Amino acid sequence: MSSLSMRPCGDFRTSYKQDNTIFETKTIRWFTAVIIVAACAVPFVFDAYYLTLFIQVSYLGIAALGLNILVGFTGQISLGHGAFFGFGAFASAWLNTQFSIPVVLTIPLAGFLTMAVGMMFGMPAARIKGLYLAIATLAAQFILEDFFARADWFSGGSAGSMAEPVTLFGFAFDSDESFFYIALFALVFMYIWGCNLMRSRDGRAFVAVRDHYLSAEIMGVKLNKYRLLSFGISSFYAGIGGALYAHYLGYVSAEGFTLMMSVQFLAMVIIGGLGSINGTLMGCVFMVLLPEFLAGGVGLVKMTEWGNTPMITDGLAYIKEMAIGLVIILFLIFEPEGLAHRWQQVKNYWKFYPFAY
Amino acid sequence: MHKKTMLASAMALATMTAAQPVAAQESVFVGHLADMSGPTAFVGKMYADGVRDALTYINNTGGIDGTALEFETIDYAYKVPQAIASYKKWKSRNNMVAMQGWGTADTEALISFVAKDKIPVYSASYSGHLTDPMGKNPKTKKPAPYNFFYGASYSDSCRGLVQWAAQDWQEKRGKGKPKFTHIGANHPYPNAPKAACAAYAEELGFEVMAPVVISMKPGDFKAQCLSLKSSATNYGYIGNLGGSVLSLVKSCNTVGTDLQFMANIWGGDRLIFEAAGDGIKDYIFPTMGPFWSDDVAGMALVREISKVSDPAGEQSRVHHYMRGVCSVYYMKEAMLWAKKNGGITGENVRNGMYATKDWVPAGLEGVCLPATWTAEDHRGINQVNIYKGNYNAGDVKIEKVTEVTLERRADWLGF
Repeated sequence: MSSLSMRPCGDFRTSYKQDNTIFETKTIRWFTAVIIVAACAVPFVFDAYYLTLFIQVSYLGIAALGLNILVGFTGQISLGHGAFFGFGAFASAWLNTQFSIPVVLTIPLAGFLTMAVGMMFGMPAARIKGLYLAIATLAAQFILEDFFARADWFSGGSAGSMAEPVTLFGFAFDSDESFFYIALFALVFMYIWGCNLMRSRDGRAFVAVRDHYLSAEIMGVKLNKYRLLSFGISSFYAGIGGALYAHYLGYVSAEGFTLMMSVQFLAMVIIGGLGSINGTLMGCVFMVLLPEFLAGGVGLVKMTEWGNTPMITDGLAYIKEMAIGLVIILFLIFEPEGLAHRWQQVKNYWKFYPFAY
Repeated sequence: MHKKTMLASAMALATMTAAQPVAAQESVFVGHLADMSGPTAFVGKMYADGVRDALTYINNTGGIDGTALEFETIDYAYKVPQAIASYKKWKSRNNMVAMQGWGTADTEALISFVAKDKIPVYSASYSGHLTDPMGKNPKTKKPAPYNFFYGASYSDSCRGLVQWAAQDWQEKRGKGKPKFTHIGANHPYPNAPKAACAAYAEELGFEVMAPVVISMKPGDFKAQCLSLKSSATNYGYIGNLGGSVLSLVKSCNTVGTDLQFMANIWGGDRLIFEAAGDGIKDYIFPTMGPFWSDDVAGMALVREISKVSDPAGEQSRVHHYMRGVCSVYYMKEAMLWAKKNGGITGENVRNGMYATKDWVPAGLEGVCLPATWTAEDHRGINQVNIYKGNYNAGDVKIEKVTEVTLERRADWLGF
């Protein structure tokens, strides 16, 4: 049911190419284009708070897409994504300050460096899977965290590392309004790239590895190569996300890239929908907005006379933390395929309305 | 057309008149980031209570010369993205003039933003590299012109402890070079004074041993205690806090180490002594103010402030609470200055911090130590009060050992 195409009657496809477009219908394509163009006006309409939320969605969303390529499309697992995100952040800052490479170049370069590191840690992935792989990637998380705190030459050690703002033709993108465009460009670019990757031969190989590795191997898909490649691409995305994060803040500290962050990335792809590119973005938006909404709830309670006592507001602060865990559990029970699936069902509902089938 | 113009002018005039009270600053907004459910909540909650109670108390007693302090406490659970989102919200929606912050990660993430937006931040991260506002020391990663904190930096308080240790070694007539070891997680907060303190310990004739790494979370640290024992360390600086410190003390007692523990500012408080019980012996730790039971002039005000969240006045607060109060009151005094000198704006509040030398906020004499901030040096406090804690059959005994005043060496700025 959910896999039913949403194509209107009469929209026939006569070639494989037509059947494999990024956007299912012309309307969706135009709609997406209009949204992107409209997004360019956002800094003129919304304040810094909304902009910072969008910027968060973009850098976390890019990294989350990387994890979805690995987990959702290739069927591997990684508990070290937060550390790769951090590696990208430090790598970009390091390349910029040590070698004076312009930031616009260090961001993609940091992606490639992170890719190399990710592939190094992904090496065992070629041989092991499941729980064993999860633990191997967990090791990557701890090793990298320790590396950030120790490697003074690379990350500035405990003192952290400075990251210059992105500059292009002498213009520094150092405000929320200007950085928004960098974030928007990166988000659109990386998501289109992700969509295209999944339509390519390599993308199909990933899915084949995920669906049944034995069948894939029999078909001639090189398991080791694609598992490792998936790790590489996933880390590349994490590195780009991390680099954007670094140059947005202007400062990178080793404290941020903990196991919790890796788990948060996993939560994003699970809530959004494993193996769905749209879903990744939905999950990321959800995870970024959830604490803000809950904080808003705490704020509302604080406005009431009985609610403005430390006991109640502190209690709600704990509830805020627990709610994130609860939401993940509820999603696993009631919507294991994530927000992307729910969205599909909403579309189906309108298509078939007023009939149930 | 003429009528319309008249109407528009009248409306504009009415709007301007209505807007007048806003311009006269009826209230200003102060953001408050706290960690009450994250990894540093053990002390974060107590510090946050101090900040909240002090802000409410100021409002209840007339605000900043009539200007109320609007504030919002957000428990960001030590998550940097949430800290940034809160900061941006306060800045763009509430017109924030100053912020009471918390940890190292968020304070450092916000350095560039607050410098650009000219919003002074009073953090509870005492990291030495927040003390160089102009980036004079080549070791300073980033100038932090709008960052303040109440207390000696982590590096300075560790230096103070090392000075005490050197004297203690002489008094005990120890033979040879005393051995000094840094104990803590490999994490920016415990590591903040590591290099600075080791350099000074060497200067004072200590043999600096390889640091011992223990996690920030409680655990079994017997292996680490064994390595402390085998290296025959005499003085161990503890960089962690809370449960981790407790575990360390207990593990080392089991192993039977013979070393003098010296904790950082967050690593020693009544709660730890009560939880560790008989295990704690001659535990050295610094404070930046008196204890709840001390009889100093300013404690009367602290007790009044405490009644905001504890009307019965039964709760006894740990010294982290007092530091929260001091942090708010220095901001308050700076705001009072700002109000008289062009209005309460971020920039004026910062200038207010530089206006007086060796000052203690009114009413808190004996609670907050005299502090001096200048445009070139944000080491407000260079005094470290050192205490010794013991636990004797249910009774926690804390006594003052010494006071160390550190010189403001140029090479220590931002380090």
